[in-house]
Amino acid sequence: MSILRYFGSLLVLAVAVLASPTLDADSSPSEATPACTTVSSPEYYEIELVTTRKVPGARLAKGKGEVTYVASPFGISVSESGSFHVNIDVSMSNVRLDDDNVLVAWITTPQLDQIRALGILDENLRVSGQTDFNKFLLVITLEPAGKEPGAMWTGPVVSRGMSRSGLMHTMAGHGPFESEPCAVYGY
Amino acid sequence: MYSNRFAGLLALVATLIPVTQIHAQEMDHSMHMHHNHAMPMGDSLAWRMAPMDGMTMPMMPGMMDDIPDVGAFLPGFGMDVSMYPEAKPSEIIDMADGDTLHMDASLVRRTINGKEYVMMAYGGMYPGPLIRADRGSKVIVEFTNNIDMPTTVHWHGLRLDNAYDGIPGLTQDPVETGESFTYELKFPDTGMYWYHPHMREDVQQDLGLYGNMLVDPTEEGYYAPVNREVPLILDDILVDANGLFPYGEEAPTHALMGRFGNVMLVNGITDYNLDIQAGDVVRFYLTNVANTRTFNVTFDGARIKVIADDVSKLEREQFVSSVIIAPAERYIVDVYFDEARTYTITNSIQAIDHFRGIFVPETHDLGTITAAGATSEDHAEAFAEARTNEDTIADIDTFRRYFNKAPDHNLRLTIETKDLHPMTMRMMEVDTLYFPPIEWNEGMPMMNWLSTGEEARWVLLDEDTGKKSMDINWQWEIGDVVKIRIFNDPSSFHPMNHPFHVHGQRFVVTHIDGVENRNMGWKDTTIIPVGSTVDILVDVTNPGKWMAHCHIAEHLHAGMMLGFEVYERGAGPQVGR
Repeated sequence: MSILRYFGSLLVLAVAVLASPTLDADSSPSEATPACTTVSSPEYYEIELVTTRKVPGARLAKGKGEVTYVASPFGISVSESGSFHVNIDVSMSNVRLDDDNVLVAWITTPQLDQIRALGILDENLRVSGQTDFNKFLLVITLEPAGKEPGAMWTGPVVSRGMSRSGLMHTMAGHGPFESEPCAVYGY
Repeated sequence: MYSNRFAGLLALVATLIPVTQIHAQEMDHSMHMHHNHAMPMGDSLAWRMAPMDGMTMPMMPGMMDDIPDVGAFLPGFGMDVSMYPEAKPSEIIDMADGDTLHMDASLVRRTINGKEYVMMAYGGMYPGPLIRADRGSKVIVEFTNNIDMPTTVHWHGLRLDNAYDGIPGLTQDPVETGESFTYELKFPDTGMYWYHPHMREDVQQDLGLYGNMLVDPTEEGYYAPVNREVPLILDDILVDANGLFPYGEEAPTHALMGRFGNVMLVNGITDYNLDIQAGDVVRFYLTNVANTRTFNVTFDGARIKVIADDVSKLEREQFVSSVIIAPAERYIVDVYFDEARTYTITNSIQAIDHFRGIFVPETHDLGTITAAGATSEDHAEAFAEARTNEDTIADIDTFRRYFNKAPDHNLRLTIETKDLHPMTMRMMEVDTLYFPPIEWNEGMPMMNWLSTGEEARWVLLDEDTGKKSMDINWQWEIGDVVKIRIFNDPSSFHPMNHPFHVHGQRFVVTHIDGVENRNMGWKDTTIIPVGSTVDILVDVTNPGKWMAHCHIAEHLHAGMMLGFEVYERGAGPQVGR
């Protein structure tokens, strides 16, 4: 290893260590947890619904979307194009609605270029549906009762959440890549 | 079947020894230049930058000159390729009860995309000979090792006698170069199985040591009628402009994600084509022999009906839009080609671009089906029916009372790391914001390549005892029905999907994330997605000392395996009752 290369690596290491206080040389499995006889949908893919605080009666709303695979002989379910095909079970609480309105769950891409109604939440504030978007937003809106959801929501957003994959973000122009000419890579 | 090549092989091995003893410290680092630059290697075996096909992301600062902490290794490297016999396409070997097959593993010459490589073959064939036998029969395989590494043969999925399972150090000694071993195979279950080495399969299997075993039913009408039956073995291999990309000598490279290939192979070739007649129904026996790649197979719009799993028919045949098949899994599917045209077999996935943080549609053309003329026998009506397989249902019925029992074992899939490159640590920590359920593509070629089993130790953690991997030795008795709950921990350093394989027994997947599986088949390998909890129920029928492990070749060598022992009834501790 040349001195220059060694020095360069040290510099990168120093920057990396300074950038985060949690760097460990080793990692180990977390402590074992007790066995249980039942399992719920994975926490990892669960979508937390965050209230917008804009809708009266739903300013303190809570909710979540539970994500599981659509039944498949292969264990997981994937579309012809390779997108994961999942069930989404939405549940809300801390919401008071009058008779003129309902809550509707929507699935949309982060770019909002495709929007699909998941369905109207029932009297228990639950609704279930499916999607094959790999990266999506889950949006709950207040809509007039007695009407089927259209192509796009019309009422105010009550809550919204993001699929786990929404946490993927561009590394271009950040951290170790900040000196890269991002235009070369399309940014 | 083969003449004795031992004398010639000894001379060959003697020549190879100096080549294979090259170590990382002795390599020509001057060859390592910036990743965007060509790196002429000449006729030398040295590490060069891992291929980064299709990747537009820049190289990590401080990593571009790094190489794995193991030597570079290629079997047969430095020899005149023409001195090796040219491998030939696979042949079907029909075997009656009691028959004997003489089969060796040897170095051969293969041509892939117009370039010649030294590779390996069973019986001189790619894939190895397809052994075809009736359910209930027994056959002998007299195996001779003519490659330049010790090896064994594992008969994947067979519930055979323990002594012939092919596990070095557990059921047999390694078969050294020039030595032989006699395997006795028995076929209690109808379906498609496969054989492969159980030593350095990251090298030997990757270079072509694999073949199928087709066990035919003895019952009439076991499957619906079709026009053709075709085995399709899916694989990939990693090459660059200098040839086959070297393997780690002392230990595998690519320990984090496994070694993804960049050239797709179907039955060992890149230009697979099947000629059929329009209107034919073709039964494909799919086997994934890749080191780590999970495939999502489509047939260009042709209707697909999945009929059988690894070890049995499904309870109910089911129409699907694609076939998801993890390493070591098998599926039997019927496909109806109703039009006269060319159909492309594809692997269609959503790859991840870590740099941009987006999913990218990616399609690999695996081969073609050319349908012309008109079928001579119309099976469209039979194809349209999704049959209910009462025999499978009745078989599984006797186990349903165990479906909701408490798990006998709780297993956590995780990883421990030590001395990984600091930049790898940093980037992987950033990346833990999201891991996909299935890692379809090689998203981090450089970081993955640099990791070896020394830095990344994959762990099967028994949550009930705290024991890890081969310190685990579960003890069961014949007749036990054992429930194993497997949790793929998404909070570990690099969670990824693992195809979990149990030797010598069969199991059903009863639940995924608490949702009951409504259409089961008996399996020997199943995929465990990231973050998921999968319950499997093992039908313990076969005595002996066995293994269960991840079937990503590099993960197996990085420690992701455990042991279990099956005693005769009354001779061991009773669990699972």
